[in-house]
Amino acid sequence: MATKKRHHWIVRVTHWVNFVAIVIMVGSGLEIFNAYPAFARKGELFCCYPFEHKPVPDWLTFGGWLAGARNWHFAMMWVLVVNGLVYLAFVYLHGEWRDLVPRKGDIRDSWQMVKFYAFKRKDHPHQGKHNALQKTAYFLLPFAGALAVLTGIAIWKPVQLSWLTAIFGGYVWARYWHFIAMVVIVTLSVIHVFMVFAVDPYSLPSMFTGNYDEKLSPEARNARPFYHLFPRRARVTPLPPPEAT
Amino acid sequence: MDRREFLALGGGLVSAAFLAACDSRGPRSADKLLRYAERKNLGVERALYRHTAIDVVQHGAHDAGNKLPSYYVSPTVPVWDESARGKWALEVSGLVGNPVRLTLEDLQRLPRVSNRVNHYCVEGWTAVETWTGVPFTELAKFVRVAPEAHYVDFQSFDDDYHESWDLESAMHPQTVVAYGLDGKMLEPAHGAPARVYSPVKLGYKNTKYLTKIVFMPVMNGGYWSDQGYEWYGGV
Repeated sequence: MATKKRHHWIVRVTHWVNFVAIVIMVGSGLEIFNAYPAFARKGELFCCYPFEHKPVPDWLTFGGWLAGARNWHFAMMWVLVVNGLVYLAFVYLHGEWRDLVPRKGDIRDSWQMVKFYAFKRKDHPHQGKHNALQKTAYFLLPFAGALAVLTGIAIWKPVQLSWLTAIFGGYVWARYWHFIAMVVIVTLSVIHVFMVFAVDPYSLPSMFTGNYDEKLSPEARNARPFYHLFPRRARVTPLPPPEAT
Repeated sequence: MDRREFLALGGGLVSAAFLAACDSRGPRSADKLLRYAERKNLGVERALYRHTAIDVVQHGAHDAGNKLPSYYVSPTVPVWDESARGKWALEVSGLVGNPVRLTLEDLQRLPRVSNRVNHYCVEGWTAVETWTGVPFTELAKFVRVAPEAHYVDFQSFDDDYHESWDLESAMHPQTVVAYGLDGKMLEPAHGAPARVYSPVKLGYKNTKYLTKIVFMPVMNGGYWSDQGYEWYGGV
């Protein structure tokens, strides 16, 4: 039996708590953003956002109104932070960080994955638990999360913690970096969900049960997005015809 | 917040959020948890608060000037009508040894300060302005605040607008009872004849069109705080 324990229960629980927390934080954050969908200080212009004063679509928002969204944002932030710290502490103490921290050769391996997905390479590069591109995404996410949390604190307490706000270039810029951190998290998450369904749907149950069948891994299936979603039929070598006597 | 409280809050919020699809405000059942989180945040924010944390305007920031938005809750800009209501005066009362009624001239005779500071709006924008007025600490000294006073209510003639504060934020060195803006007497759009102004509170806490400042033993909510905005509203 090729089924192996892939995800510890702590990883599974923190994964789904994180999913809910991110959805609520992004939705309520965009509702708050829509109260002033721009970055410029009053009486100034802002250099670096092309959509100043254009609100994001309502269906992306959560909380109903500004106060509702703020209340959700300032409650869920604790869930996001504590859950993230539990995950990081577990990954560190339990050794899982070895599957995530970049090592020599990852850039080369990432390039090979790009070539494979672009049909410039025939066979799936050999990988460990994650492929090199995937590993990079999972490694970057906690940094984007930390940036979101720190910039969030900076715009929550720009007077009481003005030293923190100053690190990010003042309130206007801290609010901008907070927005950028959200964009990075959303981008990584959207790619992640797309790849789960397009390349490795078998990993979805494993995030609930923890079990994963290595025979169904993308490497075993030689799977690209929407290619080889079903396991390879085992190659049967027919018996040679009986020799004539 | 201990571990058990966190699990209760986290578990409750997460499962509430799963049900949230029903409407964009989230499920009503989450309201209790959100209020619980607000109370805990209030504790965190009051613990973080320091008188020594001073708002500093960033180098090179422009004054908002006439780009400073004006908000009021009355149907039209609230203007004190002297012919109907008599001369405007600010009542300072409650838990004080020396309750007073101060005319605009009285206010101007008290110590004066001008602060060029940021305005932090709950909507997310900021604006730089210079506010001139009486430092709140001077006013508190003048009326002799009693030790039992822990909160201050700022009341206005803009309908029933008022917001109450924790005393420590009111006593911040940059909190003023302002009658001047950018070197001119305050105009009706921004709260004439006088308003409270402090960079340590979000805009909605800074009551315009003041009529009364009341020192209290307990908090007294506020116009926006009673509708769901955080009562503390500190930055």
